[in-house]
Amino acid sequence: MLCQNCGKREATTHIKRVVNGETSESHLCAECAASLGYADVFSGFGMSFGDLLGGFLSDTAAPQTQIASGNRCGKCGSSWNDIVRAGKVGCADCYRTFYDRLVPTLQRIHGRIRHTGKTSGSAGTHAPVREKTEEELREEKIEMLKKKMSEAVAEQDFETAAKLRDEIRALEA
Amino acid sequence: MNKWYIEKGDQGDVVLSTRIRLARNLEAYPFPGRLDVQSKKKVCAEIRDAALSDGSNTFRWIDMASLTPSQAVSLAERHLISPEFTTDREGRALLLTEDESVSIMLCEEDHIRLQVMQAGLALERAYDIADKIDTMLDQRLQYAFDERIGYLTQCPTNLGTAMRASVMLHLPALDATGRISSLAATVSKLGLVIRGAYGEGSSARGSIYQISNQITLGITEQAAIDNLRAITLQIVSQERAAQEQLLKSEAEIDKIWRARGVLSSARLLSADEFMTLVSLVRMGAARQIFNLSLEKLNELIVRMQPATINAASGQNLPPAKRDAIRAEAVRTALLTQGDDTQ
Ligand SMILES: [Zn+2]
Ligand SMILES: [Zn+2]
Repeated sequence: MLCQNCGKREATTHIKRVVNGETSESHLCAECAASLGYADVFSGFGMSFGDLLGGFLSDTAAPQTQIASGNRCGKCGSSWNDIVRAGKVGCADCYRTFYDRLVPTLQRIHGRIRHTGKTSGSAGTHAPVREKTEEELREEKIEMLKKKMSEAVAEQDFETAAKLRDEIRALEA
Repeated sequence: MNKWYIEKGDQGDVVLSTRIRLARNLEAYPFPGRLDVQSKKKVCAEIRDAALSDGSNTFRWIDMASLTPSQAVSLAERHLISPEFTTDREGRALLLTEDESVSIMLCEEDHIRLQVMQAGLALERAYDIADKIDTMLDQRLQYAFDERIGYLTQCPTNLGTAMRASVMLHLPALDATGRISSLAATVSKLGLVIRGAYGEGSSARGSIYQISNQITLGITEQAAIDNLRAITLQIVSQERAAQEQLLKSEAEIDKIWRARGVLSSARLLSADEFMTLVSLVRMGAARQIFNLSLEKLNELIVRMQPATINAASGQNLPPAKRDAIRAEAVRTALLTQGDDTQ
């Protein structure tokens, strides 16, 4: 099939444009796709974020995307083509699986590709979660025992309180 | 308790409100686009339990599927939820504080869309509130986060801080002098976007616009907020100057008084006519041509939207009936105001 824009070169890119539920399709050559701004699969996102519906997604038949189309996200099962087709990323792990392929898109949307803002405390495997030191663990234990001891005293359970006091002394030694 | 939108705000003659929105997702679940209704309900319940386990915020829990269409659209008219959230409501829920300043959409485009609204220009304060709730949730839930690209969101445009800060502006004079489109072009070069806050497309009903940050990756929350505040303040001073200039004309002042006259005596007011006239009256109040409380006008704008009138009446009213109710409410509001200001 020839490119629908120039009518000269072979069409290698299949563009599916969805605006407010209306789908239009076109076939373009690589040059025309690039010059019309369709080269990047997420280029529509910059315009469609937030409340606006629509934007376009391209389902490319270009060789480079064919090579890795067998790869799937291990968690949600999305392939790269699924993501492109839906215009949505499937899950957090998709970003890790397809990170390298997403970088040019991110560069294009945001201009930068390195997060500099707030970080999540409970961040998953990629965040530097510091192990607690022996000292910190011991102090935490003492804190907890002291709390239990004062509860026991408040309930006039002096036997338990005495046991807890001994435990605390042993830890503080 | 007063709703947030009847509070008096900084730069209140031009700035109606400030909004901070944070998008967050749970690591353990696929994004909402890949969840069935049952899993969405599970995600909603998990986030609800986390939010309610902290005593400092008392949230009302609203199952979106339990609302009538009018009730749902009314939430969007009050900008508490996105218009998208009113459709396809099965498996979605909302957490809302009593003063409606904090709302958390569950299973919208992302698992969590936390939103804080404040009157006037109050970016720092709104962010501070959002940040605290976010941190509280972060301690109880496992967020989807990657140190390289930040908070992971269903759409890559929100990656990074996943924060949208926005300011709602009343720009009647810049609108009347045809300067909004050049303003839009200018702010887009600065990483911001401006669009009409009511209604679709480019025509902004009541000359009310929303300006927000576009870029979320590679910029800190603080820098994004500073940028938005600086540009907002410039627009505010441009709008003020344009209003002063416009109101040098006797014909423009006459328009404003006539608008007030119609609002004070009409028996039927469509939403469009109301928005056009209240915009003129608000400009008159902003430039103190007469004494009307801006906060009350802001509240009126919120209350007089079609679905909000329906929701308040508890039924689906025909437009003519709605127009009569609107006219009466507006008359009453302007009348009671005249008493305490003259
Ligand atoms: Zn071509
Ligand atoms: Zn995935």
